[in-house]
Amino acid sequence: MTVEAATAVPSDASHEAGDNYLTHERGLKSWLITLDHKRIGILYLASVLLAFLLGGVFAILVRTELMFKGQTLMEADTYNQMFTLHGAIMVFLFIIPSIPAALGNFILPIQLGAKDVAFPRLNLASFYIYMLGTVCLVVAIVVGEVNTGWTLYAPYSIGRNVTGAGSSVLWVTLGVFIAGFSSILTGVNFMATVHKMRAPGMHWKRLPLFIWGLYATAVIQVLATPVLAITLVLLFMEHTLSIGIFDPQLGGDPVLFQHFFWFYSHPAVYIMILPGMAVVNELIATFSHRKIFGYMFIAMSSITLALLSFLVWGHHMFASGMSEYATMVFSALTFLVAIPSGVKVFNWLATLYQGSISFASPMLYALGFIALFTIGGLTGLFLGTISTDIHLHDTYFVVAHFHYVMVGGTVFGFLGGLHYWWPKMVGKMYDEKLAKISWFLVFLGFNVTFFSQFIMGSQGMPRRYYDYLDQFQPLHMTSSGGAYILAVGFLIMAYMFYKSLRSGEKAPPNPWASAGYEWMTTSPPHPHNFEETPVITRGPYDYHLCTEEELWDGFPEDFPGEKAKA
Amino acid sequence: MNPEPTIQMPAQWSTIAPEVDYMYYFIYWVSVVFTIGIFGSMGWFMWKYRRRPGVKAKPTGHNFGLEIFWTFTPLLLLAYLFHAGFQGYLHGTVVPDDHVEIRVRGMQWNWEFEHPGGVIDTYNELKVPVNKPVQLIMSSNDVLHSFYVPLFRVKRDVVPGMYTSLWFEATHTTGEVTGCTQDAQCGEGQSCYYGNCIAQCQQDSDCWEAIGEGSWCGGQVGDETRICALPVFCAEYCGAGSGITRSAFDDPDGSGRNTNHSTMMADLRIISQEGYDRFLEVGPPPPAECATTDATCEGEECKACWGQSLYQSSGCSACHSSDGSPGPAPTWQGLWENQRTFMNGAEPAVADRNYIRESILNPQARIVEGFGNVAMPAYRLSDNQIDAIIAYIQTLSE
Repeated sequence: MTVEAATAVPSDASHEAGDNYLTHERGLKSWLITLDHKRIGILYLASVLLAFLLGGVFAILVRTELMFKGQTLMEADTYNQMFTLHGAIMVFLFIIPSIPAALGNFILPIQLGAKDVAFPRLNLASFYIYMLGTVCLVVAIVVGEVNTGWTLYAPYSIGRNVTGAGSSVLWVTLGVFIAGFSSILTGVNFMATVHKMRAPGMHWKRLPLFIWGLYATAVIQVLATPVLAITLVLLFMEHTLSIGIFDPQLGGDPVLFQHFFWFYSHPAVYIMILPGMAVVNELIATFSHRKIFGYMFIAMSSITLALLSFLVWGHHMFASGMSEYATMVFSALTFLVAIPSGVKVFNWLATLYQGSISFASPMLYALGFIALFTIGGLTGLFLGTISTDIHLHDTYFVVAHFHYVMVGGTVFGFLGGLHYWWPKMVGKMYDEKLAKISWFLVFLGFNVTFFSQFIMGSQGMPRRYYDYLDQFQPLHMTSSGGAYILAVGFLIMAYMFYKSLRSGEKAPPNPWASAGYEWMTTSPPHPHNFEETPVITRGPYDYHLCTEEELWDGFPEDFPGEKAKA
Repeated sequence: MNPEPTIQMPAQWSTIAPEVDYMYYFIYWVSVVFTIGIFGSMGWFMWKYRRRPGVKAKPTGHNFGLEIFWTFTPLLLLAYLFHAGFQGYLHGTVVPDDHVEIRVRGMQWNWEFEHPGGVIDTYNELKVPVNKPVQLIMSSNDVLHSFYVPLFRVKRDVVPGMYTSLWFEATHTTGEVTGCTQDAQCGEGQSCYYGNCIAQCQQDSDCWEAIGEGSWCGGQVGDETRICALPVFCAEYCGAGSGITRSAFDDPDGSGRNTNHSTMMADLRIISQEGYDRFLEVGPPPPAECATTDATCEGEECKACWGQSLYQSSGCSACHSSDGSPGPAPTWQGLWENQRTFMNGAEPAVADRNYIRESILNPQARIVEGFGNVAMPAYRLSDNQIDAIIAYIQTLSE
């Protein structure tokens, strides 16, 4: 052990490999005012992981409360706060920034062969705006009693009723409003970067699909998030100035709030899932050693999803008191979403066909994504069909459906990407065996937790319930048991990453033998990403054009050290 | 029941339920086929093309025809799903002409039902006739609620500031139709309820045996004469009062009932048309444990008993304690003929009949000093019911 630890001392290794972004400057200040997209990516990563931990703790509290009928841990009102915070933190502070802001910030410029994003100062600003939003949400938690549900539906959230939400709703509103600007600025930054900063030779058809996905996401972030901002301002004004737009007591319309809210929050579902799909593209190609099948169809399906996402918000409101005509139109448009989603799944399967498939831990997440996203997508058909949606709306069926898409989709994509790019980010490998064990527990725990919720929901168990009828007891117990398995899986994963940071083996530049551009530089990368601006002569998935040596030993011109070792 | 509940769906109790379930199972089998296809091919490729030394991946070709095929053929299936789902929805929207119209008002966390002729039923109890279309015209006094009966497959949000509606036609009664007039005419463990013999229950399992899974014991936990009912849920989140810890479904005093979003329930009782007509005639009766027949409640004892039942079933217990313990609203212990002081400048007064009556029908008129945080909703109770509550409050001061 001591011998291994000695060889893993980072200073020796990095001197040998030359300067990298972690060692280029040192000290807390160099991190806090950095303009390097990689360091900003790491700052985001640490923040979203903390948010994930916090949201996860609330999730475990919710599931523990529901394990038995009646009170298990907390009062009804406390329970309502727990699921509100779980939802708000997971959606606004974890899932939305997870892939674009954390992984995207780090990887996007490197994949483009660029030195940095187009506007590095804006990038740092967007991080601090995100932190400011987070602070407001934390204040809301401390001030207490945010019990509105993450959807902040009026008139409950306006709080002029028997027990409505208190003034802490204002802090949540403010926090989400501010965090939204971080999202908008990141989107603007990425769009400009993709348009203007591509390396010589990287035309649009050579763009990695991860970037196509982030680009489509950026379009939604820039166009949809302002609507949320407007909605939140109106809610804020309704709360403080009683302007009478959502509050029926003042002549307002609560259904209008739902329209505004979902006009953002449905596209936000695609802000979450598109980057997840984008990561999976990279993983499937790398670990099958095969060019992705139907490259342009996958790229265009991302753009199509981004555009369609603006037209289907009404499917959250089939039971809300919308007109029959609106209901019909939204149902029809909703079904169209199935097409580009299906295209992606079929193309991934076709990529696996005749590939050379490795089951390294990132690939397990990608395959898990396909399985869980398939279930999440197909259960969407029950909800898009109006007659069945009426029965299933606001039950656990919906809860299970969106967790399959958000967790089975986005979080699996995020974790796959984190495992995949970890060696590039920190320059160290991790314990593959622990990674596989934690994957298995997460996959198993997830399915136990949420598959039982499909059955609960179709049997008629409404969501956001503190207490329930006898008949749901076994299923609630199963679901909570699954949540604990899930938690153990995440704890093992956290230990695995911690161990890698402390004593991980030094990572070669291209540990997965990928043809992707980001693996052409050292691990961790040079402060300017590449020693020299790379000239792109092939696509990111052109395995048939790569020599064995390139794939397995890295890229000699950038990294002579590894070449010698081979 | 017919047809039986399945592992996925509760029993079918309305005319629309078979139609909804047909769509559900159609989509279910489509999903099963797709899942097997996708998981099967994925598993097969994972095995067949696993990485082996010396075996390289085949370069990816193009197959434009295949791409077009899997892009556009699913559209046919989706078009069918849309069409069938919309058709079912329209069926659920257009109410047949010969229907009964019942007004529903949702409030935190009670349901009020107003029947034809202005008959207001006991809170959180909905009686409907069997084999007759029933339309609910719904509104909310405060926040969003949603009326949901899983066994009917119907749900609709109840929105403040506008009317929403839904309809259903129940296909089974929650009791046996016999034309009884008193309990003695029914079998053991059954009550006579508007001419219908309805099973009594101590726990939900008794109900399941009597009328099938998905039903539950309506009324208050601990009542000798709880009878089987279907649960009406509130599916749209509507918050909770403070200090709610106990289960509404297990505790002997049932004090968690109608105190928060998850227990904002009503007991749905489907009775014969004759029974429903009789209900419209005599109005909501005292509970069976208080009175011998379903229309009369003579004497203070019966009234106080009825009042205590209303205290729990109407949700009063959510805020007013009956044992002097503090809560969001004044306790009822020692309330009778006690001197009250008010916040909004009103003269101090004695809590007499008129005062209690006003506090129920128009609670905002005078608010007791120190209780301005919680706004009580107005209750629309019959004079008999208000008398019963007053009788109950009187017993709490003895």
